[in-house]
Parts: sequence; C-alpha cells; structure tokens
Amino acid sequence: MADMHGLIDTLQFVFAPQIVNGLSIGVAVILMALGLTIIFGLLDVINMAHGEFYALGAYLAVSLLAAGVNFWVCLVAVPVLMLPVGYVVERALIQRVFDRKDRHVLTLLLTFGLGVVLEDAFRVVYGPNTVRVDTPIGGAAQILGMYFPNYRLFVMAVGAAIVAAVWIVVFRTSMGAIVRAAAYDRQMASSLGVPVARVYSATFAFGIGLAGLAGVLLAPIYSVFPTMGKDFILLAFTVVIVGGLGSIKGAVIAGIVLMQIQALASLYISPVWTDPLLFGVMVLVLMWRPRGLFGALGNG
Amino acid sequence: MLEVRDLHVHYGLSHALHGVTLGVGDGEVVGLFGRNGVGKTTLIKAIAGWLKPSRGVIQFGGKPLGGLQPDRICRLGIGLVPEDRRVFPGLTVEENLRLGFLQAPQRTKALMAARLASVYARFPRLAERRRHAGKSLSGGEQQMLAIARVLVGEPKLLLIDEPTEGLAPIVAEEIFALIASLRSEGISVLLVEQHLHRALDVCTRCYAMSRGQIVFEGGVAEPGERDALLAELAV
Repeated sequence: MADMHGLIDTLQFVFAPQIVNGLSIGVAVILMALGLTIIFGLLDVINMAHGEFYALGAYLAVSLLAAGVNFWVCLVAVPVLMLPVGYVVERALIQRVFDRKDRHVLTLLLTFGLGVVLEDAFRVVYGPNTVRVDTPIGGAAQILGMYFPNYRLFVMAVGAAIVAAVWIVVFRTSMGAIVRAAAYDRQMASSLGVPVARVYSATFAFGIGLAGLAGVLLAPIYSVFPTMGKDFILLAFTVVIVGGLGSIKGAVIAGIVLMQIQALASLYISPVWTDPLLFGVMVLVLMWRPRGLFGALGNG
Repeated sequence: MLEVRDLHVHYGLSHALHGVTLGVGDGEVVGLFGRNGVGKTTLIKAIAGWLKPSRGVIQFGGKPLGGLQPDRICRLGIGLVPEDRRVFPGLTVEENLRLGFLQAPQRTKALMAARLASVYARFPRLAERRRHAGKSLSGGEQQMLAIARVLVGEPKLLLIDEPTEGLAPIVAEEIFALIASLRSEGISVLLVEQHLHRALDVCTRCYAMSRGQIVFEGGVAEPGERDALLAELAV
C-alpha cells in the first residue's frame, strides 16, 4: 500500500509537472517546426534564419509591451506584423535565386546570413542582456490534485488550437489544396492557373508568422535575449528531421514525442545531456527511415 | 487561334527546335506526329510556358505568349494535359478538379458547382471516385482526371501530349472518343499522339516533325485513303 502511495506521489509530483513542461515547450517547438517544415515542403528551402524570426517575434512583443500595448493585443499583432516581413524576405532573397541550379546552397547561405544580421541587430537595438516579460496569467490550476501554471496551460491550449487550424487550412480548404499542389508540382500547378510565386511568398510569410507567434507565446516563460533563436532552432530542426522534412503530421508527432523524451530524461540525467539524447534519437530514426517518419507536404 | 512562327528552343547547347512554324485554328483538332525525341513535347512545353524559346514567336488570339509565366498563359485560355498526366497524388479527385477552376475570371461557388457537375456528367467514373486521392486512380482514370481538370476551366485550346501512352486499348478508345466529342463542341486541340491511325480519325489537320522541324503539313484524308498520308507521317 505504501508502495502504491509512493508511485502515485511520484506520478503526481515528479512526472506530471515534467510532462506539462515538456508539452508547453513541445507546443512552441511544434509552432517553430511547423513553419520550418511548411517552408521546406513548399519551397524546398531550409530557412536558417527561422530561429531569429522567433526572436524577432519576442523582441517585437517587448517593444509593443514597452509602448503600453496589452499582451493579448501583442499575441495577435506580432504574427500579423511578421507576415509582411516574411513576404518581403521571400521576394527579395529567396525568389531572386529560386530558379538557379545552386539555389539550395544559396538559400541556405542567404538565410544563414540574414539570421546573423538579425541576431546582431537585436544586440544593437535591445542590448546583450536578457529582457524579462511578465507572465500575463499568473497562478496555477489544480487538476487531479496536481498544480499546473496557468500560463503554461494556456500556451498548450493555444498551440493545440493553432496546430488544428493549420491542419484544417492545409488539408481541408481550397487554399490548402493550392499550397499542396504547388508543393508537389510547381510547373503543373502553374499551368492550372496557380500564381506559384505569390503562393510561395505567402506561405513563407505564414511560416514566419508562426515563428513570431511562438516568440511572443514563449517570451514570458523563457525571457528574451539575442541568441534565443539559436537554442530553439536546433530543437525545431531535430523535430522536423525526425518527423520528415515537409510533413506537418511529422512535425506535430515528433515535437510531442521528442519534447517528452527530453523532459522525462532530465529527471534521470543531467539536462546538459538531454539535447545529445535527442540528437541520438534523430540519428537512430534516420538510420531506420532516412526520410523521417512521415512523407512530405505535397504527397499527402 | 494559336500561331507559332520560326520557333527555336535550346536545352543548354542542344538545339531542340529548329524554326518550327505551326498553327491551330478555331475548333480545329490538329495532330502533331513524329518519332520519340523529335521535339513534339518540347514544342508543347514551349507553348505552355514551361520552356523559354531562344527565338521565334508564339501568339494566342493575337497576343504574344513570349515571356509569360504558365499561369498567365493558362488564364488566356490554353489548357495543358501533359505527357505524364501530372495528377497531384496527395489531392483528392475533386481537389484536383477544383484547381482547374482557379483560372476562371469569375470564381463563384455556383459556377464552380455547375462546372464540376458538367465534368462529372462527362466522366461518371471520376464522380464515383471524387473523394479518392489522385494516387489511388488507375492510369486511365488519371488520364481522364488530367483532361477533366483542364476542362473545368473551359479552355479555348487544349494541348494534349500523348494521352493514350501506357493505357489499355479499351481505355485509349475512350480517350479518343472524348477528343472527338471535344471537337464536336468546337474546342480547339493540339494533339501529340503515337497511335497514328486512331488519332487521324479525330483530327482535322496534322503535322509531322523530324529532328526538331516540321516536315509535313496537311489534311487527314478520308479513312481508307490514308496510305500515302501514313507513309508521310511515319517519319
């Protein structure tokens, strides 16, 4: 009986908080990974600046909050402000080299360079120090005898809603069918009247908007600093690679599973080793399925 | 309607089309014949905007197509049914068909429903499989979908490249019957086809190509009087 109580206590006070932690980080990683995987699935471009766009979202929130804008307004305004940024970046950088044979290398270098510039710009504008963002929802909720921070529960709910909305848009609407068609066969989609260049720009902007949203959502949890994108982008890339480059389902499932592995493993091993553990899982998955767990965007 | 004059296309250093001149009039079904690799598909791709000509003129309804993107060419009323069908495998039959409606100038739900109903009436098999993914269709069904998808947009001219390639004879017959019905509806077609005998039955005029050039142009003659023509076309 005493053992049973011990087990319940362990589940309640040790595992459950870690699972919730893992889920709240997982949701943010999934939002990042969704943007990355959609951009890769459609444009065949690996956006190395995605982490810095996540940071840009957080810094935009910092600026808006400092100007007296309400956090909830920021949550909507920042992703909307990120859309034109993404659109312009795609038009000015990606599309410029899109028809060239060496575009994979060029887009990789261009987005990497953009990331470096953005990171230094954050340093110049906001300084090198960490900026704290107040948690907009304080307190904790008691669920089944366990206490969970309200804001983390909110992040999970918003993240789940966004993942569901993205899934519906991509797989259940005409707009999504256009995106999937353009992802699978650019020429044929174009010959059916799809304005492919505009679809690419809009989708890139959408992915950047998701990164910005993740930046705002996580700012109250992790604070804001110039290199915040670097730490996160590695996790997001791992999730995208394990899930399958270009797969939305893959990004969601891999995001949840990998972040749970990380959260629960940190109970037993030093947190320093949890990232290498995830990379080890990635290597194993790639040995077993070199294309990742699921197929690409246009292939359904 | 379609006018191609002195068209040259290069693939890198390789000169694929050497001054091709060809025309398709209103309501004509024009056959384009020749062995594999003579430039038929290259010509179709150049008209559709997939390849940039190095020299020459392509005009449709008096408007030059040079430099236009494929979506703009499509919006002018040129529908493409490419050689390998290029059905979107992850999209359902209906999603594939709806894409064909994108180029319609007025995109209302009612018009879309009417166009889909008209296409489903013509292709009942596609109606039965409207919720199935493109990749689950047979070769014949995919070919019908590729044609139906373009018809949803009510094009003025159809470019159809090797529609019966790899299909069972009975399915190929259905495709030829379909092209004949398009002809009776006054839709212009430029048809690339290997089955000369059967293709001539649905064509009003024909061309033959060899080594990137047009080497024959003429009418299709009456069935039973085509021996000389077939000899000309078997280049």
